Amino acid sequence: MPKRLNAVVSWVLTFLVMVIIGLPGLWVILSGFRPNREILAKPAVWVPERLSLDNFAAIFGLGDTQVAIPVANYFANSLVIAVTSTVIAIAIGMSGGYAFARFRFRFKNGVFLGLMLSRTVPGIALSLPVFMVWSRIGLIDTQFGLILVYVALNIPFTIWLIDGFFRQIPKELSEAGQVDGCTRWQAFWRIEFPLARSGIASAAIFAFLTSWNEYALASNLTRSTDSKTLPVGLMDFTAQFTIDWAGMCAMAVIIIVPALALTFLVQKHLIAGLTFGGVKG
Amino acid sequence: MLKTVIPSVAVLLTSTAIATSAMAAGEYEGYTLRVKLIGGAQYEPLYTLIPQWEEETGATVEILSRKNHFELDREIKQDIASGTINWCVGSNHTSFAPQYGNIYVDLREHLTEDVLGGFVQLTLEHSTVNGRLVQLPRHSDVSNLYFQQSLYDDADNQAAFKAEYGYDLAPPDTWAQVKDQAIFFADPPNFFGTQYVGKDEAITGRFYEMLIAEGGALFDESWNPTFNSEAGARALQWFVDLYEANAVPAGVPNYLWDDTGLGFASGTVAMNLDWAGWASFFNDPENSKVAGNIGLVRAPMGSGGKRTGWSGSHSFSVTESCDNKEAAASFVAFLTSHDSQMVEARTGLLPTRSQVWTDAKAEFQANGNDFLVLVFDTYAASMAEDAFTPPLIPEWIEVSNVLWPNLQAAVVGEKSVQQALDDAAKDAREVMEDAGYL
Amino acid sequence: MKAKMDRRLGRWALRPQSIPFVLLLPAILVIVFVVLFPLIFSLYTSFTPYRLTRPESLWTFIGLRNYRRIFTDLDFWIAFGRTILFLAVVINLEFLFGLLIALLINRITWGQRVLRTVMMFPMMFSPILVGFQFKFIFNDNIGVLNNALQSLGLTDQAIAWLVDGWLAMGSIAFAEIWMSTSVFAILLLAGLFAMPREPIEAARVDGCNNWQVFRHITLPFIMPFAFIAMTIRSLDVARAYDIVDVMTGGGPAGRTELLWTLIARTGYDNARMGQANAMAYVSIILSIAFTYYFFTRLVAARRYMGGAA
Repeated sequence: MPKRLNAVVSWVLTFLVMVIIGLPGLWVILSGFRPNREILAKPAVWVPERLSLDNFAAIFGLGDTQVAIPVANYFANSLVIAVTSTVIAIAIGMSGGYAFARFRFRFKNGVFLGLMLSRTVPGIALSLPVFMVWSRIGLIDTQFGLILVYVALNIPFTIWLIDGFFRQIPKELSEAGQVDGCTRWQAFWRIEFPLARSGIASAAIFAFLTSWNEYALASNLTRSTDSKTLPVGLMDFTAQFTIDWAGMCAMAVIIIVPALALTFLVQKHLIAGLTFGGVKG
Repeated sequence: MLKTVIPSVAVLLTSTAIATSAMAAGEYEGYTLRVKLIGGAQYEPLYTLIPQWEEETGATVEILSRKNHFELDREIKQDIASGTINWCVGSNHTSFAPQYGNIYVDLREHLTEDVLGGFVQLTLEHSTVNGRLVQLPRHSDVSNLYFQQSLYDDADNQAAFKAEYGYDLAPPDTWAQVKDQAIFFADPPNFFGTQYVGKDEAITGRFYEMLIAEGGALFDESWNPTFNSEAGARALQWFVDLYEANAVPAGVPNYLWDDTGLGFASGTVAMNLDWAGWASFFNDPENSKVAGNIGLVRAPMGSGGKRTGWSGSHSFSVTESCDNKEAAASFVAFLTSHDSQMVEARTGLLPTRSQVWTDAKAEFQANGNDFLVLVFDTYAASMAEDAFTPPLIPEWIEVSNVLWPNLQAAVVGEKSVQQALDDAAKDAREVMEDAGYL
Repeated sequence: MKAKMDRRLGRWALRPQSIPFVLLLPAILVIVFVVLFPLIFSLYTSFTPYRLTRPESLWTFIGLRNYRRIFTDLDFWIAFGRTILFLAVVINLEFLFGLLIALLINRITWGQRVLRTVMMFPMMFSPILVGFQFKFIFNDNIGVLNNALQSLGLTDQAIAWLVDGWLAMGSIAFAEIWMSTSVFAILLLAGLFAMPREPIEAARVDGCNNWQVFRHITLPFIMPFAFIAMTIRSLDVARAYDIVDVMTGGGPAGRTELLWTLIARTGYDNARMGQANAMAYVSIILSIAFTYYFFTRLVAARRYMGGAA
């Protein structure tokens, strides 16, 4: 009986926790389908009187409003920037992580800590100096400029995670492969890489989400539809005196859904990857 | 939907045809004009006219940025810092313009008296920094007092108010009356008498206009801060009293313009001092519960006998580094022409040309839009008689940033009114010393 | 000459001792270019009265005046202290909630995939969006939260979530915790999954109750995961800037002023970049201290587990 009670309690608790986690976010998503008048109302309108795609239509300039938000451009920019920076960060992270996992060398701990600490610089402190440098070399308002910054942002954590995964894989495996006539390069791709794959996937999803959602730096380094990303595009809904919250929520749906779908697909790898990575050092 | 779109498109076409006929056709053939414009719902309709200018002059307009004013301000400062002002026309604002130094040209050298003569002269004065007309105003703004008409028509309210305060309940003419009535109407947490913005430059501006209305001043002639005077204390006391009486929402110290606007539209606030840009929103049943129930009077007077009238204008500027200043000036003149301003006036924004005031009002009358007639009458009076700007110095924002946290401290009861003002004056003095005024 | 250099470089790169450096080279290059290089520039500006709107002020050297000003500025130190307190409270609470969520989800076998996705839901939200979202949820007059509390009859007040001294900081902390607990939950869940079953069963045979098993076996095992999460979180806590800036802008009356809002206002609104960068340097030292602390704890916890750190 107490065991039964235990199960009930943990179910109820789980449910409550999920509600607290889910509600604020669901409110945003639901608001994307409702008019402003209903969302911010008093007395509150709890049961939506009208759900519609009006806010989305407005974003795409299909309604009777004249303002279209170039959301397709933002989406394309976000996708290119997030995917490219993730791929590059993972490639650099694999190379660096492998170095830390498999080699002894001078200043190893110093280099490692140095790379980690580079991530502690707050974006707001970095934004102006980076802006000054980027504007001199013409990287302002380019996708490449932002990709470079996000690669730097994601390298420390990526190296750390991947370093952990490679350490999990016994050195002997790779050595055995080399005895069988593989070069070290071949041994890496045939033996070590497949074993570390889910760890690399989990590093990738973290890197992707960071780049996909980053705002502080992007708002300073982007200017136009050439490079503006979705989070920066959210600010298109604020004017000096007004915030179009319903429109912003609709845009939020456009930002969240792809990220959520991706996470749902890879989350099995994510947990499996994190399990074996990082910890045992 | 079709019904609303077709007439407005027709109007746009005819009006721009007239506007552009003055220009020489194909004058800037092949030239690309790079511009940075303020974005956001109320500013965008004007930009739909840009293709007309392109067609007429042969030039192409490339909009590099379109973002809200504060973001644009940051971007322009970054451009100054990195020396990358590689664009020609930028949106500007009278309160912000002094900060940008000499990056913008004096438009008097590039525009003829034909163009400039039609503007309200006071507005052009406000657009002048160090004797240079660095911007051409597109529309102005000032605040007046909106209220829920039904509250004042209600006989029970009238009797109860008279019994309690000894004078008739009528739309207020002084800020003291606003205070009485706000406290009278308030029924927290369901209903509030009034509200005010409580942070950033917003509360600085509201305090500043109240200070003027109370007969005070921010600085004396030699730029010593003087807002910690008795007039200053009276001005700030008004904000504190309303807060302590719970006549305003408890969250006001965190409110900005969107909060006060949405609050009034939600029907839970009796009176609301707000900008002209909100008028159409308030009277639109799609967005607002007080639509059809809105009264409007000129901003009330302080004890100094002066009405509050913090005002500013959105504007366009042409950069010194522009490679074709004539094209840029032509573009700016086009966007602020009579017909362009009519487009903005139809949405309730306040024009900067005298003729547009008259014509827009006539159009509202012809269409039977009594509410916008009332709006234009009220705002015309306050623009002509009450409007004043903050000090047009580069340090305005910095002074504001030492002032508003102290104003908030007084409102939430962390400091006494006098203490808050004295502290702010001390910090403001430091700012002015650093800037070399003192 | 150049060919000779290239050959020498090529030989160096192929030497066994050089391989790790060659492998690390891309990472180091990117970090130097994107982080170190700009930081050196901003370090220089912190010794100047540099103002964004007056580019020529970049060439005036004023020594330590910006730093002297900071060290005598009470508001700065209050914000500094508040930032430390905020970080300490938020990171610990995120750990506790993350642990609770991980333990709960770990027990449930059916529908776990959906639960895990829900758990990670807040990670999909951009910090700037989280700021707006909670600004509207916590609005005292027309916000959802007060509306709900009033409808349920729990209060007849309009609670000023974003104004009242402790509530304002608490509301921001809530937003921050809502956004970031997922990171802890997922890492701790990974830790629970990785746990071997034998020690727990052995302990039960020895008569340990649930709490004792948790306290002496489960917790030590997942602590390294917790420290990883804490290190990661202390690496990018400055993300909270977006949230605070939108929700309160540091107000009212500086009650929610954190270092980052102060820096941004000084640097951009007041255009005093030199002074802002001096502040930024002090705040970077703070971040480094936090990260270093968690990192050493992590190394210690690994050693405790017997793993070769």
